[in-house]
Amino acid sequence: MASTDISRDLEPQRGYLLRVARLQLRDDALAEDVVQETLLAALSGTGFSGKSSLRTWLTGILKHKIVDAIRKKQREPTVASAFGDIDSEMDIEDFDAMFNPRGGWDSKPAEWGNPEDALNQRQFLDVMDLCLEKLPPNTARVFLMREVMELETDEICKELAINANNLWVILYRARMALRQCLEQNWFARNGQHP
Amino acid sequence: MIRRALGHIISCKDASRLVSRRQEATLSGWQRLVLRLHLSVCDACARFERQMAFLRNAMQRYRQ
Repeated sequence: MASTDISRDLEPQRGYLLRVARLQLRDDALAEDVVQETLLAALSGTGFSGKSSLRTWLTGILKHKIVDAIRKKQREPTVASAFGDIDSEMDIEDFDAMFNPRGGWDSKPAEWGNPEDALNQRQFLDVMDLCLEKLPPNTARVFLMREVMELETDEICKELAINANNLWVILYRARMALRQCLEQNWFARNGQHP
Repeated sequence: MIRRALGHIISCKDASRLVSRRQEATLSGWQRLVLRLHLSVCDACARFERQMAFLRNAMQRYRQ
């Protein structure tokens, strides 16, 4: 692919990259920087083979830039607090509140019908964004590292200096919260839509 | 009767944790067995399991 083509193709991906970077970094200026660096690396790089989609390739570059940014941020003690308290997000107790003392569902998961249909609807992706934004910062970061960046669990543990058990708790919390948020804001309302 | 009892060796709370953990780690043989028994008798957890699979798909779609 000639470089003039690629610069034209990159522009439409900017919004997506920014969204993912913002959700993970919770810092607009830093997210802008990281996306800028990603696009620059993409323009100067030779890596795009056309084997994967452009977006998948860009996500791979962004992944490294975000991990670098997180590392850098962790080294700056003054801003560490802005990064959120990861310890409080590893507490599983508040999600036990979704269950009664005998371990049964307090409110059972509802029937979602054919949820796959929602994936083609723009509004569903907006609801998904809102639900991701509502997650505590580190919970969102870990969940996106796992599900969008497709980092392996040991890589995430290493980058964030947490153990595997902490990671499972955080991912469990993210999934429980997202499930509930999607159910309340989409499937309970739109479940009957075609 | 026996099937119901076997299905409740673990609670819904435990089942939901195993369903999530399975996406990152290989469960032990015992964990797989008790989870399967539970999912075969518990509609709510079976729905939860389908919703977790959907969530993973949805996140992949989010990237596309």
